[in-house]
Amino acid sequence: MTLFLQTILNGLVLGGIYSLAAVGFSLVFGVLGIVNLTHGIFVIAGAYGALLLFKQFGIDPLVAIVPIGLVLFVTGYVYQRTIIQWAVSRASLVASLVVTFGVAMMARNGLQLVFGPDVHTITPAYSFMSVTFGPLRIDVVRIVALGASLVLLVVLALVLARTHFGRAIRATAQQPLAAELSGLNVRNLHGLTFGLGAAMAGASGAIIGIVQPFTASSEVAWTLNAFIVVVLGGIGSPAGALVGGLLLGLINALTAQYVGPSLTQAAMFLVLVLMLLVRPAGLLGNAFGESR
Amino acid sequence: MSENILSGRGVTKSFRGLTAIQDVDFDVPAGAIFGLIGPNGAGKSTLFNLITGYYPLTRGEIRFSGESISPLPTYRRNQIGIARAFQISKPFPALTVRENVRVGAMFGRPGGSDPEKVVDEALAIAGLEELADRTAEGLTVGSLRKLEIARAYATRPSLLLADEPCAGLNPTETEEMVNCLRKVRDRGTTVWLVEHDMKAVTSICDCILVIDAGQKIAEGTPQEVVADPKVISAYLGEPLEEQVD
Amino acid sequence: MNRTLALLLGAIVIIAAALLPIWIGPFYTRVIQLFFFSAGLAIAWNILGGFSGYWSFGHTVFIGMGAFAAAHIAPNLGLIGTGPMSMLVAILLAGLFCGLFAAILAYPILRLRGIYFAIAMLGVSQVAGELVNNVGWFKGGIGVFLQTPLPAGMATEDFFYYIFGALLLLCFIISMAVRNSRFGYALLSIREDEDTAMMLGVATERYKIMAFVLSATLVGILGAVYGYSVGYFTTYTVFRLDLSLNLIVFCLIGGIGTLFGPIVGTAIMLFITQVLLSRFLDIHLLITGAIVVVIILLMPGGMIGALRKWRRPKERSSTVTAEASA
Repeated sequence: MTLFLQTILNGLVLGGIYSLAAVGFSLVFGVLGIVNLTHGIFVIAGAYGALLLFKQFGIDPLVAIVPIGLVLFVTGYVYQRTIIQWAVSRASLVASLVVTFGVAMMARNGLQLVFGPDVHTITPAYSFMSVTFGPLRIDVVRIVALGASLVLLVVLALVLARTHFGRAIRATAQQPLAAELSGLNVRNLHGLTFGLGAAMAGASGAIIGIVQPFTASSEVAWTLNAFIVVVLGGIGSPAGALVGGLLLGLINALTAQYVGPSLTQAAMFLVLVLMLLVRPAGLLGNAFGESR
Repeated sequence: MSENILSGRGVTKSFRGLTAIQDVDFDVPAGAIFGLIGPNGAGKSTLFNLITGYYPLTRGEIRFSGESISPLPTYRRNQIGIARAFQISKPFPALTVRENVRVGAMFGRPGGSDPEKVVDEALAIAGLEELADRTAEGLTVGSLRKLEIARAYATRPSLLLADEPCAGLNPTETEEMVNCLRKVRDRGTTVWLVEHDMKAVTSICDCILVIDAGQKIAEGTPQEVVADPKVISAYLGEPLEEQVD
Repeated sequence: MNRTLALLLGAIVIIAAALLPIWIGPFYTRVIQLFFFSAGLAIAWNILGGFSGYWSFGHTVFIGMGAFAAAHIAPNLGLIGTGPMSMLVAILLAGLFCGLFAAILAYPILRLRGIYFAIAMLGVSQVAGELVNNVGWFKGGIGVFLQTPLPAGMATEDFFYYIFGALLLLCFIISMAVRNSRFGYALLSIREDEDTAMMLGVATERYKIMAFVLSATLVGILGAVYGYSVGYFTTYTVFRLDLSLNLIVFCLIGGIGTLFGPIVGTAIMLFITQVLLSRFLDIHLLITGAIVVVIILLMPGGMIGALRKWRRPKERSSTVTAEASA
């Protein structure tokens, strides 16, 4: 019983991180209708950024979230306004998918050149501490990671729900043309949304760095994770990402514990396929409206 | 001639509690041009989607040549002889007009003559011979509508469902379309025509079904239907600006 | 172009290709061998992605699966022994295995469309690679051997040059036969508009599965031969995500959905990466990625599309003969 509860706890903690890592992907998918295969790169870039700041300047990864978020926000904005915008307008949506795939490969190659192929982890002072709740034990880094993820998700949810910017994003997602006619600069909003998504991904990367080992080639796994989270929880909303992320975390932890650690990816993928079959039309539960 | 090629009994379709079609009965006589009219949102396109199997029936039964077609998937329904031409043209844009029609001729109802002969015949009926080698991408609305008819006809159907083939066409094009549908009928294919505009439909239909808000409100010859007070009120109650479904 | 001329040209190309290894050194024999292999893969991808419009982002799964299937089948062939016959049988069985796997996979995965299918395939390749690597029985982590029964007096690179050459020819002939058949028209109609195709009596489900299985089988066979040509390999030698991207890039450059596009695209791409930039192996992905972006932004129709646009021919359908109904 203790083992089971411990597994559930681990799964939920992991799930919180998955949620944060996926929410940007979800937002971009919901608002722009673009599946961004570069997403995993943003996550891993965030992790490398945190590693660099930690090693060079001793900056705590949680503090590093701010500069990393800013850099990725700008990167994401520029990337969307140039390459993605061009690809969507000149070719098809599937072709834009290939473009993001290609950029992901380039970035992955670049990261490998700079940081080498080795696996890295970030180890701040609290890395080796843990707390106990009765029979259950949990690492401090994991609590920190979960806490930071939840805070960021709530902030994003508030931004979307309460601010003018958030309302503009939601309006753009539902009716781009009508939004444009109402005086919103849709192109700019798309860029900002993309930047926001990239920033969230980078932030999650910084947090992931203290919890899990990573290399440049983990980017694919993080893109796929984000996709699965979106399929499970629904497109576009932080709440959906949270639900999907927690589910994915549970699936991951339970599989690792009771089936075998080498089968976690397979189990996650099985769930994805089953989910898509149950809802063959694609992903219902789009927070903003019709999905394509 | 008196036999019915397609009949529906108690045909009902609801979407999450919203009833789009309710208990509609219909009989389409073989060899006729059968008309279906009704105001916007009356359920005309939904009815076609039920017949082609794009949506499953909620209740009721549809029989084609006496056999129930409910269990058949869309492509099988075409293979037994039901074809559809869309209102909003759905050509295969990257293929030429001839290739578009050829897909219909290669598939559709099995058997019959050489597919290339069918293609030529279909192109001739629709008057598309000169455009045959152009890609469908750049065609005008009128030509696209003809292509819809030609491609559907090429599947060698015994029943052709034409969804507002004249909507948005100018008078000359409308005339051509009406002639084209007559030709299709004269070659032994029953035509079921949905039209928004009563004038067009009364001129060529042998028999008309009127639905409003998902229910049948009238049925009969064009003269009978036009005189029906329920039909008149259904049409007068309609906003003027909306001409296309 | 008339038929006789085309056949004649084809024959000349084949004879020239067959004689080529006599004049060029081992290095270029290997480069061309890589070209044959890659072009074969691109053609196989194009049958599914180009004709039916189902872009697979994880086709590398069938390369890996074919190679590993061959490696597990070859030592267990008993009576057939280890001669050339065993290689043939192992390769064919590996292809068959991939086809079978695709047939089973097809049911759930081909119900997804567009980007969902693309990403699901990416997932399939990722998961399959993970399993082969981590489940001990597959030996993906430690690697497997495949020994080639080389004919006496023949250089390895020559041997595989001819095998891959023959396979490329096979893939091309199959692709051409598909394109001009009823099957091919079904795939094109699915690509253009799947729902409309259904209403024209096209049994879309069946044809999609056929294309998927055919494509997977061809890739599986090529993967198995590739396994033989490298001799020893681990998971990451054959389950390579960059190969999945490469296949799409080859087709994109040449022109997706065209007959010659995959071959032209592969030739251009390999010339750039293997010949012009052969000294920068560690930035291959960077280059490939950059080329993808540039191609999609500048000429979405690929080389062949660009050529066509440039010549703007009035009658396109004459390129497709119509005696296909059989």
